Amino acid sequence: MIEVERLSRNYHAVRAVDQVSFQVGRGEIVGLLGPNGAGKTTTMRMLTTFLRPTSGRAVLSGHDVLDEPLEVRKKVGYLPENVPLYLEMRVREYLGYRASLKDVPRSKRRSSIDGVLERCKLTDVESRVLGHLSKGYRQRVGLAEALIHDPDILVLDEPTAGLDPMQIREVRALIRELGDRHTILLSTHIMSEVEAVCGRVLMIVKGKVAVDDQLDHLQVQSSIVVEVRGPAAAIRKVLEATPGVSRVDVTDQHGEILRAEIQTKDGADLRETLAQRIIQNGWALRQLDHRRSSLEERFVRAVREATILTDDRADKDHPTETEAA
Amino acid sequence: MRHLFTLFRRELASYFLGPMAFLILLAFQVIAWLNFWALVDDLSRSTQSFSGLRDPLNTYISGSPAFWMGLFVAIPALTMRLVAEERRSGTIEQLLTAPVTETEVVLSKWLAGVVMYLALLVPFFLYLPFLYYQAKFYFDVGPVISLGLGLTSMGMMFVAIGLFFSSLTRNQIIAAVLTFATAFTLIVATQVAFSFAMVTRRTDLAEAIQFVSVIHQVNTFGSGQFDLRFLALHVSASVLMLYLTVKVLEYRRES
Repeated sequence: MIEVERLSRNYHAVRAVDQVSFQVGRGEIVGLLGPNGAGKTTTMRMLTTFLRPTSGRAVLSGHDVLDEPLEVRKKVGYLPENVPLYLEMRVREYLGYRASLKDVPRSKRRSSIDGVLERCKLTDVESRVLGHLSKGYRQRVGLAEALIHDPDILVLDEPTAGLDPMQIREVRALIRELGDRHTILLSTHIMSEVEAVCGRVLMIVKGKVAVDDQLDHLQVQSSIVVEVRGPAAAIRKVLEATPGVSRVDVTDQHGEILRAEIQTKDGADLRETLAQRIIQNGWALRQLDHRRSSLEERFVRAVREATILTDDRADKDHPTETEAA
Repeated sequence: MRHLFTLFRRELASYFLGPMAFLILLAFQVIAWLNFWALVDDLSRSTQSFSGLRDPLNTYISGSPAFWMGLFVAIPALTMRLVAEERRSGTIEQLLTAPVTETEVVLSKWLAGVVMYLALLVPFFLYLPFLYYQAKFYFDVGPVISLGLGLTSMGMMFVAIGLFFSSLTRNQIIAAVLTFATAFTLIVATQVAFSFAMVTRRTDLAEAIQFVSVIHQVNTFGSGQFDLRFLALHVSASVLMLYLTVKVLEYRRES
């Protein structure tokens, strides 16, 4: 449905999106995740043809964004960030206007407006002026507008931003429902949203794809948390030397007590081995816990790695400056 | 081009959702009424050889400072929000991700502006039948038609200029000031430059300036000479401005 190949976008000297490649299959709900300013909105704007890519290729529903932008727009429903609407129009009037712009045939216009009004639970406000509606309702009008021409693909930029918890639940439920019929790409920086709605996660950090994986794969990754009393350096050495351990992160250390998070290869549960080794060395084991890493931790790690990478690169680019510093 | 009517209808309707259009319409109604009153007053003093009698239409519309003052306010006011407001509120993103072309968007906005501009002129022409039938002042109809066409083509040009400036910025005030400055240059500054060139006896320069002077163009139309060169100037200026506006919108996708 969506094929993106080495898509890049510059704003003057700044590279906002850097060689992003990914594919989204029919019926998938993909969460585009990333810190603010990572390039999520720019990516979405390129996919919806609002912005032209500086380089690279994007094909949606078989149409290239550069060669056939009008065809792409017919196949894509787009909910921009902050949901810009003509606030002086009425709900039904606005949807009618958009339906005619999006080439919904006159004979079907009425039924498709009624359809989206019902799906987005807007029937009771259909004759209200948009400017008088609450944020939640406007968000739903934006969704209804994106759906009006029954597009193959929905691109939703922060669909739940600024809503209250009840409204967020409603919008999420609606998006899940829409997933049966449409391919959905939604952006957010709220982790729980991705966990609640999406099947797949695409993390973008500093304009690059940092993670692209199924949500259940990401959640399977696990870590072991230990708290031990003893000499920190020695403990660390022993933990790292245990077969099956891929990484040890010291999360906290005060006095004699050391807290560490251990990543194991293939998520293996090494609690018993670790406990044995610690006790054999005569240290006191205070805590030993196996836990599935949350998406949030994965996100923080991805952001941290990307930052370190770019910093390294910056150092290599300007070695003299760093030496001088 | 099949979305043109849908877009045009929304643009036109959006004028009437704020107070601006009503205020400008009211102001022009008042100007037309005052000018008509002054015209009738002049005509009733026909025994004094008053020059307005020989050229009643130019006394009525194009010779009246109030009319030009009104235009200075009306043209920026009608055109400043056309694109700037969409950019400020972000609705441009919705508009340009719908399956419509930039040309359709620009033409529909321009047409809505031109229709609003023509609506301003309607009261002036509504009064004339009274002069003809009731006061039995049998003026020529030819100059009325030629002035009507001339004012229309002039309006098309000014609306296209205003639309272009509106597409350059998200700040309506900047768009309005730029449009006003351009209109002022074409209407007033050319008159001043013309007089200056005449005083300094540079007649060829004066002639060139006179050609682009909008007041001179409208006076020519009002005196019954339908000068196609002026029509060509207005139409080509409109086409150029509309083309540039389309290019600005296309360029915004790049930058």
